[in-house]
Amino acid sequence: MRRRAALRAAIPVLFGLGLAAYILAPFVWVALSSIQPERELFRVPPHWVPRQLTVDNYRFVFTGRFPAGYEQAGIARGRISEKARDALPALRNSTIVAVSVALVNLVLGTLAAYTFSRLRFRGAGPLYSFVLASRLLPPMAVAIPYYLIVNRLGLLDRYAALILIHTVFTLPFTVWFLTVYFRRVPPDLEEAAFVDGCTRLQALVRIVVPVAAPALAAATAFSFMFSYNDFPFALFVTSTIRSQTIPVIVANTAINPDVSFGVVAVTVVLTMLPPVIFALGFRHYITRGLITVTTTR
Amino acid sequence: METKGDGGVPSPFLPRMRPVASSGPRYREARYAYATVLPVVLLVALFTLYPFAFALVTSLREVVLYKPWSQPFVGLKNYLDVVRSEFFSTSWQHTLTFVAGAVPLATLLGFGVAHLLNARTALTPFLNVTILLPWAIPTVISGIIWAWIFNSSYGAFNGALYSLGLIDSYLPWLSRPRSALLCVLFAHVWKEVPLTSILYLAALQAIPEELYDAARVDGAGAPAVLRRITVPLVLPTTLIIVVYETMVGIVTFDLLYVMTGGGPAGATSLISYYLYNSMFVAFNFGQGAALAVLLAIALVAFIALYLRLLRSEEIYVT
Repeated sequence: MRRRAALRAAIPVLFGLGLAAYILAPFVWVALSSIQPERELFRVPPHWVPRQLTVDNYRFVFTGRFPAGYEQAGIARGRISEKARDALPALRNSTIVAVSVALVNLVLGTLAAYTFSRLRFRGAGPLYSFVLASRLLPPMAVAIPYYLIVNRLGLLDRYAALILIHTVFTLPFTVWFLTVYFRRVPPDLEEAAFVDGCTRLQALVRIVVPVAAPALAAATAFSFMFSYNDFPFALFVTSTIRSQTIPVIVANTAINPDVSFGVVAVTVVLTMLPPVIFALGFRHYITRGLITVTTTR
Repeated sequence: METKGDGGVPSPFLPRMRPVASSGPRYREARYAYATVLPVVLLVALFTLYPFAFALVTSLREVVLYKPWSQPFVGLKNYLDVVRSEFFSTSWQHTLTFVAGAVPLATLLGFGVAHLLNARTALTPFLNVTILLPWAIPTVISGIIWAWIFNSSYGAFNGALYSLGLIDSYLPWLSRPRSALLCVLFAHVWKEVPLTSILYLAALQAIPEELYDAARVDGAGAPAVLRRITVPLVLPTTLIIVVYETMVGIVTFDLLYVMTGGGPAGATSLISYYLYNSMFVAFNFGQGAALAVLLAIALVAFIALYLRLLRSEEIYVT
């Protein structure tokens, strides 16, 4: 009987370990690949526990010095894509774009969502539906027109183009998310503030924003992640390292069949760091925000 | 008159609005409302209505890269060419196969994982953090990692099978039509399960504990509780997940770009990738636009179908 109870308690733990392995294995694999010399990566079958560790791949991405052994083999040019060295400026581009998108979402999204949640005005319903429904447009369907619009605005290969497009694709979610959340905030406090002579905007900034801060943090996180993670739009409206974001650089490095995977692994690890740090830092807001919004009827 | 927020006629949409003078507090409030909402609406309109109109117009003309000076009106020719093309039906076939695999897998796995996260063992805090990781990283990054794992010469998957003695030599998983689509599906589900799990976890935690207690008192077993309480109560979440996952499945592109390039022999050329190919590789913009319009219509039709289900189900539940 006692053994049975112990077994019963062990089942979720076993499944939990299985889940953790399923999720983490690819991360561990790529992290290990980034710190092994090429020779080791190409061993058949692989050494599951690495025998040789090196920081050469990282040194190449940061300083441009070829990892030892690559040159001797006479394959340095093919194996090591110079493109991988664009990872650092691309990380900077990605961060600038994603932070801007998150800030624009925070300002425009909060203002619009508060209005949708509190005010009655002509066209409120249709306008709200329009904003939400816009998200149904498949990205690939608007690729060429986006290219032409951005070109006409003179913004090809500029941050502004990406910031605009990412903002348009994140705002519907932000507006929906915050509108649902604001509706749950009781209006009593604001009404007291109106009696004291506050305007709408003052009430929003001084009373609602502090109360809804966790939701705002979650909305900021979502828009940051969308922008940072976007691939197709970045592929279409950027052309040089002046504005190319990290997913574009890493993808185009990785699909080169001659590239060294050790070097790609380094860029993959570097790419994952910001969003992972962001997601873990904002974890409580993200999960709690999703819980609040999706369970509101 | 119409634009001033409220005229004298009570609108059917705004039953509680009272007619007021055009400079009173009501008027100021309407002005504030439009000032805060219009930036979002206009921005979204510029980047959705105009591009879609543009795609519509382009789809009715012959627009190819090597003849930019002449774009004759050709009516529905592009649509007919697209629909008659063999690639159109095969890419839809692949897309629907992919979606038919991805949606149930992501939904059911998410449901299971949510129960695991809700079970509260010593591992729970660790799993709560871990589960976010695949969701947090860019899709192309997960595609690159999985493509390397399934690599035909050095991949960990081959290595594992080989070490276990299940295969005698490494197999090219990504260069065989059937297994290539399965590999992409695997990577896709790995990336999607975190979100579906978190949404289901939210739904599970919103179910009042008393319901379970009452069921237990009545002597209901685990299957009955699952069928009578859990599944019906998470139904709204299920519908959100199914709609969202269908959308994400249909527009899958990033994984294909880095994992297979649509190959082998078009086996993983799902509709979005096919569209990308016809525009950016074949440079037939007219046909690409026709394809884009068809894709947009298909997507909206899918969502409309689901929303209809959602509505009837809601009536059923309440």
